[in-house]
Amino acid sequence: MKAKRRMLFSLLLVLVLVGIAAAMMVIGRGHTVYFDNKTLEDYQGQEYKAADKIVVTVKGEEVAKLSKRDRGMATWIGQNFKMILEVTQEKGGESEIREIDLKLPYNMDGIIINLPAILADLPEEAWLSEFIPAVKEEPAEEEVPGEGDDFGLGGDMGLEGELGLEDGLGGV
Amino acid sequence: MSKKTNLPAGKRALDLARNNAVPIMFIIICAVFIPMAGFSPSYLLNEIITRMGRNLFLVLCLLFPIMAGMGLNFAMTLGAMGAEIAVILVADWQIWGIPGVVLAMILSIPFSALLGFICGTLQNMAKGREMITSYIINFFINGWYQLIVLYIMGAVIPIMHASIMLPRGYGIRNTVSLLNMRQCLDDLLAIRIGGVKIPVFTFLLVGLLCLFIVWFRRTKLGQDMRAVGQDMEVAKAAGINVDRTRIISVVMSTVCAGFGMVIYLQNIGNLPTYTGHAQIGMFCIAALLVGGASVEKAAIGNAFLGVILFHLMFIVAPGAGAFITGDSMVGEYFRVFLSYGIITLALIMYEAKKRMARSKAGQELAEAQKKEEDA
Amino acid sequence: MSEKKDYNYNSPSKFNDEMKTIQPARRPTELEKAQLGTMTAMVSSFGLPRIIISGFLLVLFILTPFVGVDLPTQITNIINRFSWNAVLVLAMVPMIHAGCGLNFGLPLAIICGLLGGTLSIQLGFTGPMSFVMAVLISTPFAVVLGGGYGLLLNRIKGGEMMIATYVGFSVMSFFCMMWLLLPYSSPTMVYGLSGNGLRPTISLDGFYNQVLSGFLNIRIGNIALPIGALLAFALLAFLMWAFLHTKTGTAMTAVGSNAAFARAAGINVDRTRMLSVIMSTWLGAIGILVYQQGFGFIQLYNAPNNLTMPTVAAILIGGASVNKASIPNVIIGTILFQGIVTMTPTVMNSMIHMDMSEVIRIIVSQGMILYALTRKIEGAK
Repeated sequence: MKAKRRMLFSLLLVLVLVGIAAAMMVIGRGHTVYFDNKTLEDYQGQEYKAADKIVVTVKGEEVAKLSKRDRGMATWIGQNFKMILEVTQEKGGESEIREIDLKLPYNMDGIIINLPAILADLPEEAWLSEFIPAVKEEPAEEEVPGEGDDFGLGGDMGLEGELGLEDGLGGV
Repeated sequence: MSKKTNLPAGKRALDLARNNAVPIMFIIICAVFIPMAGFSPSYLLNEIITRMGRNLFLVLCLLFPIMAGMGLNFAMTLGAMGAEIAVILVADWQIWGIPGVVLAMILSIPFSALLGFICGTLQNMAKGREMITSYIINFFINGWYQLIVLYIMGAVIPIMHASIMLPRGYGIRNTVSLLNMRQCLDDLLAIRIGGVKIPVFTFLLVGLLCLFIVWFRRTKLGQDMRAVGQDMEVAKAAGINVDRTRIISVVMSTVCAGFGMVIYLQNIGNLPTYTGHAQIGMFCIAALLVGGASVEKAAIGNAFLGVILFHLMFIVAPGAGAFITGDSMVGEYFRVFLSYGIITLALIMYEAKKRMARSKAGQELAEAQKKEEDA
Repeated sequence: MSEKKDYNYNSPSKFNDEMKTIQPARRPTELEKAQLGTMTAMVSSFGLPRIIISGFLLVLFILTPFVGVDLPTQITNIINRFSWNAVLVLAMVPMIHAGCGLNFGLPLAIICGLLGGTLSIQLGFTGPMSFVMAVLISTPFAVVLGGGYGLLLNRIKGGEMMIATYVGFSVMSFFCMMWLLLPYSSPTMVYGLSGNGLRPTISLDGFYNQVLSGFLNIRIGNIALPIGALLAFALLAFLMWAFLHTKTGTAMTAVGSNAAFARAAGINVDRTRMLSVIMSTWLGAIGILVYQQGFGFIQLYNAPNNLTMPTVAAILIGGASVNKASIPNVIIGTILFQGIVTMTPTVMNSMIHMDMSEVIRIIVSQGMILYALTRKIEGAK
């Protein structure tokens, strides 16, 4: 009886933990959102002009002030993205405030949003595209485990030096 | 034990000094070094509080195996490795902020528990040599950890982001950036008092662990653990499953160490993939011992005092070394020497005491026999 | 071949241990005798991990011609590495014999050797003479430090290994400071700019570089044999063997296998243990000098630490246990361990373009130590 209850209890605990983990995976997914204030040319035969100035506010913080052809950036955790845009269409004209809610796709790390398109309430495919970071050619990283230890001690306690021909000379 | 209360005050003070020789020594060292290093008090305070938030959880997890009489758990590093694997995965899945930390903690549980179970089982096979065994297990599992992280991740375990992968296409880079979960726990509810940031939430977590430890000592399992720690034979005779209790204590220690490591990493803000865990065990153990703990007895207070004193020494030693010898490297070696030295001293004291107790028991036995013969 | 392997897996060492303890108590039946065939006997005497390691090395050897690795070069490398490391591994023997466990305090011994080497250079000796002087200078250090170390280990019987580890660390980190602070002045050793503090790596060119390995270096076919270094090891190993057969040597073995019995037989246990620690320390000091003459450099600061685990693992791979070791253990162990160390990187690299040797080395050596620690000690205490 007692063993059974204990089993049930631990099973429940595992389930709860798995549940929390799953929830965290959904609500904790981070995205980098880029905003383009760029003219969208030729979407179904129409052109959507960039505004003169757009101020983007995310979570009460002004993250970007975009002139024509500018790009701004913000980070967002979760999929229900909210931003406030202060749009000035013509130079010197009245500014208009728009609140925008959108759903970010779970699998995209970097998301580019075309602001003129979203202001025109176009469908998703018109304003959303994936940001693919340019592949940087980096110098081959040294992959010696046990390097860069802050305490000045041999990183993994004595399993390298034995073959220390290469490393040994480094200090000369 | 009861004799102590009858001693005169002077002798009692001497006793107190002798029993707390290590913390007193460190207080003196710090008192001498602080003016030499020339740091401002607010800087020191800030550093100490940061380091307390970062390390306390890890140090506290050493208490469980000590409770079970298994000595200093050098294998708490296993928990750190489990946490690191979890953190790498979470970083790759791009789970940010507090959800990322929570997920990493949950994800670390199966890894740390499994490693802890292996460790406990092996330690049961090497009774009387638990510490050296746990010390070697460290290195052994570190080999497997490297195998997984350096060769299997990216090749078998899918890793999506090139930013954390080595350019060759598999294996994890030397450092993984955790920018997106950096100090997210520390910043939650953080208070600033005169330029000193107090990470309230992290301290709350530490407090929670302390409460858990206090509560746990009173549970049936906790009582069993202490019985096993006192005398395995007696505990066995009392019907306690000794091996199982010991394994549980190690598993609890490694799982807590895993949580502690996640806290540690979110504070640091990046993960040194291959060196992050290497020194954790040693520094936590040294800190606990500096706080006046011994191999068979440690309390929560020891952990707090130890972290403060040890890290204070750690911060000021290079500056003081430079002041005395003109070479800051000397100070750096000196603090390493002190940390090793303190562990050595504690181990020697423990073994000598154990031996003394053994020979005393032998003498008493012989005397009793003699008396019996006389009578 | 595969059949054999399966059989090995089915007879874990624990079983063998049990068999050993059971056997004297009860005669095995005919059936059991049949089961305890030659294979089991071999497994139990050789140990499962050792068979796996030897098998692994054998596979590596068989693979060499197929993956385009030059076998004679590999063999030369193994022999060379053997000649560098064997004396260090030999240093483990006395302490194991006297029941002091595995000498994780090897850094202490190495520090003695380092003091000898650096002082010999500092005092202006060059060429082979510097090696002789290094040996001579390191001897008093080994006796004094080893004596103190032995005294300490006598006070903490039963906890030697853990404390030895940390004594090694403490002494090493203490000497990290000393290398910076001691008034060394030889321009070949100190930092060029500031003029004080020793460099982490000191070249031995012009001093005792290759003094043993270069002596009588004979080539047979494509294999070069460092006869000088091998002879030096052979001499020390022979002396060790001879010592173990003297009265003091047998007393040491008695202390190691059963201290209470030894005490009853009138042996001064503490003195014998102390002697073993001093011998171990001295051999370690000589061992590091031999290692340096082959390697060509003196490595200071945290380097002493790097040799501890490989050395301990080597003797265990050779068949030693926590309280039993012999000269053949040293030789077999060093060859096997150095074989793996030398062969894995080259063979693996040319086979799958992936250098996993580092990881394999860690797992093999630590696994071996762990195996030795978790086995029940036969007939002890």
